[in-house]
Amino acid sequence: MAKRSGIRSNESVAGWLFTLPAILIVGVFLAVPVLMALWVSFSDWNGLGPPVGGRAQFVGAENYADVLTEEGLAQRDFGTSIRNNLYYVLLVVPLQTALALFLAVQVNRRVLKGRGFFRTAFYFPSVTSSVAITVVFLFLFTASGAVNSILGWLGINGPNWFNDPSGVLHNLFAVFGWTSPGPLGATGPLGLTWWDWLSGPSVAMCALITLAVFTTSGTFMLLFLAALQNIGTEIDEAASIDGAGAFRKFFSVTLPMLKPTLFTVLTLGLIGTWQVFDQIYLTGGGSPGKTTLTPAFLAYQTSFEDLRWGRGAAIAFILFAIIVALTLLQRRILRDRDEKPKRRRRGIDGDPHDGATAQAVTRLNAGAGGAP
Amino acid sequence: MKRSQWSATALAAGLVVSLAACSSGGEGGGQSDSLTLLFGSSGDAETAALEAAAAAWSEESGVEVEVQAASDLTQQLGQGFSGNNPPDLFYMSWDQFQTYASQQFLEPYAADLPNADDFYPALQDQFSYEDEFYCAPKDFSTLGLVINTDLWEAAGLTDADIPTDWESLRSAAQRLTTGETVGLSFGLEYARLGVFMNQAGGSMLSEDGTEVTADSPENVEAIEYVQSLAADGSLRFPADLEAGWAGEAFGQGKAAMVIEGPWINGALAADFPDVNYQVAELPAGPGGQSTFTFSNCWGIPAGSDTRDSAVEFVEFLTSDEQQLAFSEAFGVIPSTESGAQQYAEQFPENAAFVDGVEYATSPVAFAGAAAVISDFNASLEGLESADAAQLLGDLQSNLEAALEEAQG
Amino acid sequence: MSTASVRPHRKRRLSAKLRTSIVLGYLLLVALAIVYIYPFLISIASSLKTNDDATANPLNLLPETWSFAAYDRLFTEVPLPTWTMNSFIVTLFVTFGRVFFDSLAGYALSRLNFPGRSFVFAAFLAVLSVPAVVLLIPRFLVLQQLGLYDTYGGMIIPLLADAAGIFIMKQFFDSIPAGVEEAARIDGAGIFRTFWSIVLPMARPALVTLLILSFQGSWNEFAHFVVSRQSTELNTLTTGVASLVSGQLGEGNQYPLRLAAAVLMTIPVAVLFFVFQKRIMNSTEGAEKG
Repeated sequence: MAKRSGIRSNESVAGWLFTLPAILIVGVFLAVPVLMALWVSFSDWNGLGPPVGGRAQFVGAENYADVLTEEGLAQRDFGTSIRNNLYYVLLVVPLQTALALFLAVQVNRRVLKGRGFFRTAFYFPSVTSSVAITVVFLFLFTASGAVNSILGWLGINGPNWFNDPSGVLHNLFAVFGWTSPGPLGATGPLGLTWWDWLSGPSVAMCALITLAVFTTSGTFMLLFLAALQNIGTEIDEAASIDGAGAFRKFFSVTLPMLKPTLFTVLTLGLIGTWQVFDQIYLTGGGSPGKTTLTPAFLAYQTSFEDLRWGRGAAIAFILFAIIVALTLLQRRILRDRDEKPKRRRRGIDGDPHDGATAQAVTRLNAGAGGAP
Repeated sequence: MKRSQWSATALAAGLVVSLAACSSGGEGGGQSDSLTLLFGSSGDAETAALEAAAAAWSEESGVEVEVQAASDLTQQLGQGFSGNNPPDLFYMSWDQFQTYASQQFLEPYAADLPNADDFYPALQDQFSYEDEFYCAPKDFSTLGLVINTDLWEAAGLTDADIPTDWESLRSAAQRLTTGETVGLSFGLEYARLGVFMNQAGGSMLSEDGTEVTADSPENVEAIEYVQSLAADGSLRFPADLEAGWAGEAFGQGKAAMVIEGPWINGALAADFPDVNYQVAELPAGPGGQSTFTFSNCWGIPAGSDTRDSAVEFVEFLTSDEQQLAFSEAFGVIPSTESGAQQYAEQFPENAAFVDGVEYATSPVAFAGAAAVISDFNASLEGLESADAAQLLGDLQSNLEAALEEAQG
Repeated sequence: MSTASVRPHRKRRLSAKLRTSIVLGYLLLVALAIVYIYPFLISIASSLKTNDDATANPLNLLPETWSFAAYDRLFTEVPLPTWTMNSFIVTLFVTFGRVFFDSLAGYALSRLNFPGRSFVFAAFLAVLSVPAVVLLIPRFLVLQQLGLYDTYGGMIIPLLADAAGIFIMKQFFDSIPAGVEEAARIDGAGIFRTFWSIVLPMARPALVTLLILSFQGSWNEFAHFVVSRQSTELNTLTTGVASLVSGQLGEGNQYPLRLAAAVLMTIPVAVLFFVFQKRIMNSTEGAEKG
């Protein structure tokens, strides 16, 4: 008994000692910074001197009001960045999920020769850095670049991708002769007109959307692949042989079983796509015409270039709130789902932490090394 | 058994501490035997010239100078100041100067320079904040019409055709436009479009600087004129020509005329030495002749430890002799009146740039204007299909808000 | 040929229609694979072209004239060796730091009963949901206050431990049977020794996963190095190549140069990827199973 309690107290000390370095690092470089930035977001700090205890004054919610409620350039920039990011999310998330699922089903087929090769091919873009891949895409999407050459074979005169600020929905409207805002010229939320909200992603943004789908589909393919392998191979085999019923089987048998993973992928995508920064930085900070500006980049630019640290921090916290809201939504949906079918298959969706693990792996995978 | 736990943690803690320790050096004290100089370069010619100047001064003064070409000057300066580690000396651009000065980032040293009175008065004004002359103008540039003479002759044009007004500019541009070459090109930004507005008789601010006049009918006329050139197909912007800037399009023969400043000389000499060209003054608009002056000043951070060395270096850099060396290397015009005179004699081919000083104005640059201008530049990307009045209407309201805040 | 692996008795039942659909399926997959691989091949090819050739023939896999000018410039005019060295320094510290600290903490959270354990675990879980981009400004503020801004320390220390890695390690330690340590402890081994020489070796699969992910993550990291340093001497490959794209050298069309840099910076992660291919392809599976 005495020995037992000795181990206990040793364990107490050891437990704290073992976790201490991680707690220190995460605490000092995550918890403290967040608190400090929260203060800055309520101050007028301009970058000169220390942000705490210096000349910086408390200004209340002014920085938040500047971007949310007060009419002006700051609000419109923020509105523009939200619009851009919204279209980005709306296109990237469904596309990457569908493509990843399609690829996973394809490379999971027993009868497929060269599965290893295909998996490697589809996954490789995911291991490269955002910087390298953006350089490659800038080259592919020049006016006389590879993409437009291929479009040229099809008789299509491709746009000057990264320099074309026109919104694709606006372009589509123009086909039907609708080029002026008309009643939509009225100002909508965040200082943008309804017409501006309906612009669609710009052509330049479409190139970035392609880039995102290209680099993330491989990672999510692996998540789906793992789930498919858990389900077992019978369904897959049956589906691949029984040609006529393949589609039906996929939608009525395979897909429902993949639901947990599907949810994970969708929410991870939703969270990840609100954080685009690297690509924006590299393609000229929102150019052409601010149509690729995102809240993440706007926060950075407002602070580091315009030296309005308070406003930049406020934008970062609003973005934080958006992402937290989406995460909570994910948790709720996952919990609801868990309660209803009473732990059907423990293997895949039984563990409530599965989502978190997948998130952990994907985050590391996606090169988000900055996230502690 | 306890020891092994401790040693593990000690190892871990030691690693963190040692990393912190080995990294906390570097923040220098009051030594002024070395300076860092951060600048935005127009190209290799400028970089080499600055390095040479720094080396020459180091030899003379014994102070070492580390010359750093910024990849993005505004961002690096902002990060430097906020990180409490600004460079000892840097290019302070005309469009950011008022903002930096009003935030008290800059050391007002220029009035004490022995050659303070030699600078062009207009440049002294440009770098004064609340009537205090802050920093020494580095040099200045005006915009001119740069013409590819080979393409000019090939199109059957003569000296008599050199554009003097908007109409002759239009017809020359049309005649120069062929399958591979566009007649005219310039960067799609306020710093170029603004001269058209001024040529039309417009402006951004009323003369006393208290009222915004961005949406005046003159400015609308200017925008519409540029739009009509683009609609003709005789004006295209560098991005559409797959060039980083107009000078590159000009060097590659994709544009026969461009509106650029004297810096184009250095760039062409370095990258496209075979191009033959001449420089003319910008054509006059309905409101007369106009061009922009641009200048950087030599910025020194407020309360800098190395202030004295930096000021000495600035004296050296702004001497007529050194400024003329820069002129030779990358084409800028000396910021002193005496220097500019020598320049015009020495480089008659650049006379058009110097002549422009007579009627040149500075682009709008009060504190906070830069963000509005960059928004305007962004909105210009849709220029060809945009409504001129609406573009300028947005600019008007944004500038009004910024001006109010600046005067606030 | 595509039906070769299907068992014979089923082969008879394959209708012509099905066969075409299999062939079509293959064609589609091959086409997709080309779409995924071709950009990388073009990049390598174009990095060996002249500027004009790269612009004029963007799709050609063979340069008209082989030119090593881009690579030559990278090693003479551009300080690529410095960038590479910095990338390696940062990546090595971060990778080994993470593997060590994450497994220490993961082990404690999984196997050691200490007061506050569930709180610590919950805190790490909460931290997992703080998005990285939101931290850019805050991190900068703290680094600046600690005097770590623009130093190796500022680039490395904040990345030395991460909640995600701790989580992965904890999950793995949870799956190791408890009996393993009991035996060791009865022999009188201390907690750290038990962890270090008995449990940790058993965690090799998880350690390798963490190693790969950390290496890849820190090698490819960009945003953190944008806000934690400004000196050009501290450029890593990511920030250095970014300056080629957006900065002074970025003026004008220099695609061979930029692509050459992109190709070179991809080599280490590509090597890692091919060496540990099997493990990477299975790592997410293992994690997903929990």
